[in-house]
Amino acid sequence: MSQISRRQFLQGGTLFAGTLALTACGGGANEDATSTQVADEAAAGEGATADEAVATTDYTTVEEGKLTCISNLFFPPFESMNESTGEPEGFDIDVSKSLAEHMGLEVNWLPSQDFDTLVPTIKNGGKADVAIAGMTITDKRKEEVDMSDPYVDSNQSIVIKSGTDETAETLDDAEKVIAVQSGTTGQEWAQENLPNATIKPLSTIIEAMSGVQTGLYNAVVCDLPVSKYQIKTSYTDLEIIEEIPTGEQYGIAVSKDNPGLLEAVNSALAAMESDGSMDAIEAEWFGSAL
Amino acid sequence: MGQTWRYRGKRFAIALCALACALAILVPTTAFGLTTNKATARPNEDGGSSVIGGLPTRLTWEGTVGTGEKVTSVTLMLPEGGSFDGSTTKVTVLEGLSRAKLDGEVKVEGTSLIVAFSEPATEGLLLRLEVENMHFPPDGGDVAIKGSYVNQSGEQELEESKPIKTIANTPLQALLASLDANPVVEAWNSSPFLGMFFKPQLLVTAFATLIPGWLLCLAIVCIAYPFAIILGLIFALMKISRRRLIRAIAIVYVNVLRGTPLFLQIYIMFFGLPMMNINIDNNVLGVIVIAINASAYLAEIFRAGIESIPPGQYEAASSLGMSHMMTMVNIILPQTIRRVIPTVTSDFITSYKDTSLLSSVGVMELMMFAKNLTSVSGNMTPYVAAAIFYLIVTLPLIKGVTIIEKRMARSERGGGPRPKVKAKSADAAAGGQDEMGTEPSLIEALSAPFRPASTDIAGMGGVADVQ
Repeated sequence: MSQISRRQFLQGGTLFAGTLALTACGGGANEDATSTQVADEAAAGEGATADEAVATTDYTTVEEGKLTCISNLFFPPFESMNESTGEPEGFDIDVSKSLAEHMGLEVNWLPSQDFDTLVPTIKNGGKADVAIAGMTITDKRKEEVDMSDPYVDSNQSIVIKSGTDETAETLDDAEKVIAVQSGTTGQEWAQENLPNATIKPLSTIIEAMSGVQTGLYNAVVCDLPVSKYQIKTSYTDLEIIEEIPTGEQYGIAVSKDNPGLLEAVNSALAAMESDGSMDAIEAEWFGSAL
Repeated sequence: MGQTWRYRGKRFAIALCALACALAILVPTTAFGLTTNKATARPNEDGGSSVIGGLPTRLTWEGTVGTGEKVTSVTLMLPEGGSFDGSTTKVTVLEGLSRAKLDGEVKVEGTSLIVAFSEPATEGLLLRLEVENMHFPPDGGDVAIKGSYVNQSGEQELEESKPIKTIANTPLQALLASLDANPVVEAWNSSPFLGMFFKPQLLVTAFATLIPGWLLCLAIVCIAYPFAIILGLIFALMKISRRRLIRAIAIVYVNVLRGTPLFLQIYIMFFGLPMMNINIDNNVLGVIVIAINASAYLAEIFRAGIESIPPGQYEAASSLGMSHMMTMVNIILPQTIRRVIPTVTSDFITSYKDTSLLSSVGVMELMMFAKNLTSVSGNMTPYVAAAIFYLIVTLPLIKGVTIIEKRMARSERGGGPRPKVKAKSADAAAGGQDEMGTEPSLIEALSAPFRPASTDIAGMGGVADVQ
């Protein structure tokens, strides 16, 4: 018996080694591709220093002539999906449109993906150019990707079901469950400031709020503009018990391998601030320019 | 980063200092000109929630400027052993919820950090300092942040913060540090593919932290499955019932559950029941959902199994004077169970994997832990570790199914072992109703697929005895 199972084990082992070898090859090939791309960019960079005028347009996009954007599309009013058409809409979507317009590109939105996968996707490249997702600029994220200049300010908030009489103090208890969106600054805030509570990272803010509504969780910690909007439009039986001033700012995530694109995004954002298009978008989604 | 606390010119600062001094004479000072709101640290234990001393983390300190105060600089101090060296500080000044146009210049001197503001922070402003990459003392313990600040009337003692709980380094963390320092690991991680999916540090962390989630997955499916089998059998029998109403109930049950995604069923149960004020523990509810879902699939498997028994056997049984019930229990079901074992095992594997869907409603199972770790690390490796945890269970089961199927195919062809008690049970049947005869033949029938084809007595009973 043992003899046979050993043979089978060896067979399995060979198979595994084969797989490893394959993946190793895959890794190598991938690396080659990246290095050539970097070389191209380096060459292009030299060209740019020689000719200043080209500098702003010196970048590559995943799809020629298009700015491909990703986000988690369950984060109203920044991004959501239109109920009838399923098209993405929201503050960030309008920002992306204006951004692409200023850059002379067409905007292309990919389907929604989980928030915590956005930074790895941009870092790996090849799928999307930018993540516009109400994403706070943090040092941790900047280790993985480049973040653009801030384009909107935000804060955190604690949301509970009206009438449950929770406070920030009572929530810091092992019995209490705090829902957050996975990978957000809200999650970080909760882990740091409510260390005794159980933190439940979920993939969307909608799941978190529905859970609080039904009593599955005691509270949600999320960005203040989102909780304000959600309570006004859909979750009327929830309330904000604490507005937490964090002064965080949203930025657009761009791959570190694409410094030209970061530069172009930043100058387009500056142009949007100065020509008033950012104010117009803010007025549309928040009632007034921020 | 640079722009957050850019320096605004000396002349301006001097002018403001003069203004501050002038005001200092006019305004009386209060007990605490700068109230410490809080000092917290980001947990830096990989996959855990503790703050470990001696490893980089982020300190967040917040203070509010009191009435009539003009704060020009704040100094934070760490106890002996801690360090601000190599840290970067983000200075945010807030007025209510909006950012005030006030920057700070940061200077680090070992255990103290000095933030000088571009202009004096006035009454009601919230000063927020986020110090990234600082270290707490490596021995752990409760750390209170002390310090001082400078207002219009000079340097003042800063109110001590509530202590931050820190712990000394763990063996796991030490292993991770050694991996971090290893050049082979570094070279491995520099490949985008290997670094993203097979980062050794994260594999180690994930294996250590995913275990509770894995155990919960196993517990949920192992508790749910016996219930699912019982429920499934009941609905299978209902489905072949002669009464139309019973049949209809079973058909609706099976079709609705098989025709809707498990994800949806989970949502309805987890969000719907609490709305009706039915509050069940999340893990128990997970067991219930998995059991109900699996029972519908099992019902179909059992029904197919029962119907695969040739009708001649019913006729034979009734010619021996057995009732329908007796025929079912003694003749049909033992054969059915034998036939469905591979399919049921496959379904068990499916159910085990389906527990991952429970992560979306906050059950702390394997996927949840993996997702958690991925969200803090920005790396896919925890998912790969989770996949390995799933495979640890599913691969042996898949292998087992293959073996059983092979043996069954052989026995169907007539190559399998013959029940040795045949003659005896025939005698028993001849002697009228006797339970004795059926018992061993049931065991024989059930264990047949597991036994080797040759009638080797030493190798009786066990999947391990593979030829």
